Amino acid sequence: MQPRRFIFWTLAPAFGLLAALALISIAGALYFSVMDRSLRYPDYDFVGLYNFERLFGDRRFLNALKISALWEIITVAGSLLVAVLLSVFLFENTRSATARNLICLAFLAPVLLPRVAAAFIWRFLYSPTLGLINYVCELVGLGQVEFLASPSLALFSVAAVDIWQWGLFFTVILLKLLETLPKEPIEAAQLDNARTWEIHAYVTLPMLRAPIISLALVKAVESLRSFDLIFVMTGGGPGTATETLDLYAYQMGINLGGRVSYASAMSILLLLITIVIFTLVWRGIRKWAA
Amino acid sequence: MANIKCTNIRKSYGSVTVIEDLNLDIPDHEFVVFLGPSGCGKSTMLRMIAGLEEISGGTVEIGERDVTRLPPGARGVAMVFQSYALYPHMSVYDNIAFGLRRQKVAETEIAARVKQVSGLLGLEQLLERKPRNLSGGQQQRVAMARAMIKTPKLFLFDEPLSNLDAKLREKLRTEIRRIHLDLKTTTIFVTHDQLEAMTIADRIVLMKAGAIEQQGTPSEIFDRPATRFVADFIGSPAMNFRDCTVANRGEVVELSSGSLHLEVPAADFEPLADGTIVEVGLRPSKMDVAGDGAHNAITGRVVLVENMGSEGQVVVDVDGRDMSLVTKAFRSLSSGSPVTFAIDADSIHLFSKRTGRSLRKAA
Repeated sequence: MQPRRFIFWTLAPAFGLLAALALISIAGALYFSVMDRSLRYPDYDFVGLYNFERLFGDRRFLNALKISALWEIITVAGSLLVAVLLSVFLFENTRSATARNLICLAFLAPVLLPRVAAAFIWRFLYSPTLGLINYVCELVGLGQVEFLASPSLALFSVAAVDIWQWGLFFTVILLKLLETLPKEPIEAAQLDNARTWEIHAYVTLPMLRAPIISLALVKAVESLRSFDLIFVMTGGGPGTATETLDLYAYQMGINLGGRVSYASAMSILLLLITIVIFTLVWRGIRKWAA
Repeated sequence: MANIKCTNIRKSYGSVTVIEDLNLDIPDHEFVVFLGPSGCGKSTMLRMIAGLEEISGGTVEIGERDVTRLPPGARGVAMVFQSYALYPHMSVYDNIAFGLRRQKVAETEIAARVKQVSGLLGLEQLLERKPRNLSGGQQQRVAMARAMIKTPKLFLFDEPLSNLDAKLREKLRTEIRRIHLDLKTTTIFVTHDQLEAMTIADRIVLMKAGAIEQQGTPSEIFDRPATRFVADFIGSPAMNFRDCTVANRGEVVELSSGSLHLEVPAADFEPLADGTIVEVGLRPSKMDVAGDGAHNAITGRVVLVENMGSEGQVVVDVDGRDMSLVTKAFRSLSSGSPVTFAIDADSIHLFSKRTGRSLRKAA
């Protein structure tokens, strides 16, 4: 058999399956988004862009849009910041390879936990009456803090869990990347009178710019899929303080209203927004990194 | 400007000691080359002086100041690395300016000094480029500019020319030498290339297995090697060695091995008992084709002739073993023909079989 044909036939089943799974659901969502399908009534009709029009007047939708954007920024920036600071700290302060590997192993553990498990653990830790964190808060005189029940804190409290999982994971990746860098430019910087933080700010981290950008993009995509974490920890509450777009779509389509078409329109819109924003960001980064 | 003083330097990794009790003085303005085979500790020594490698014992002084425990940046040294070690994401200008910026020098002064240094090294046209868009020679010039702009007390070069092709190596070597004549900054240059060392150094420090084997000017090292190791390491083609038996003949000492009979003045060497076996070293470049009756003549049969342009290396079979010589008269020789050549008694080296040390009396 010719190589091309061989490649085609061996790849075809997997691609077919992927296409079927992705395309059918997208096509389904598209179809429903221009109907007025609701679980309350058995029949439905074509309504054009009515659902989309209504979305832009829906304050809860606009709130969800804002929360989603905030969530992206906090988790991506937070994970990277934690990873950069911790990896540099470990790079400078742990000398023995064994200690470093043990720390790396410990840092890998959180991301290996299923999201739902992590969410339950932290919900317990945050608990006002039973939680370890509140116990510590009271010891240091902060009093009881309503981490998940306070509208101004809840989003950050949930984001902290996400950063705990991914920031530590990225710390391990960055630490390993720092170890692969050639030693000479760092030594040259030492001879150039650079302090430790200057060496990292001006030499090592800029040398790792490309992989750090990749990590940011991976995290941005990953953060879009935090439904399980938020759902278990706050369910979108208090009020709509942590209600991201996917949570709102779920509430509309399945949980509360059963308004399948409205929720479908929302997911289609989310898909479009994501594609547009990521394309723009990707282009911007490519230009900047060149 | 500064003199360097290393006292009782020791370096060990765990239980393995690589340098033991090394003492070295380098006067101000001198261009010193650390020379030796790989693994002899020359780079380690350089890195300890730079502060990049911890010193296990002893002290390093730069300009009368003990710097043993100081960080690299505080020692007033600048270093050029074999791999250039440029900051890959910065332009040439930023690379050169980096050190001054860390010292909070005013941006206008930095600009003036970058201009001056880049002019000196012919980098004016390249200041906006990134290192990856430069050739190896250009990159090494940038590295030199980065080192020079700090006006250090001491320049350190760690095999800076090893990654360059032969022609460029020669060019940059001359340039480094010229810059040193201009600036007169004390310089330590590490290399494993003996020719490079011979051409560039005021003084060569030849190292072997973590200890100094011999130090001296290039001519001293070449003409009066202190040990068999030095004699063998320096010079290309390598020195010829033969084990010879000693026979005292009053004023002269006769050395013989097979058909080989050489005479050297007894006064130049330490007293040797008749019948002692010594190792005789004959430098190829000190031998030349001669008539049959010449003093210290050696005869043999030509094995092959290598044309090196103005000179030729001739390999001669003497008693079944190869001996090489370098001569301008190589064109008249061909494989298989007999040849007679001679060596000046002053260029015959004798080494003890037991210690490897030269048996020639110090001048």
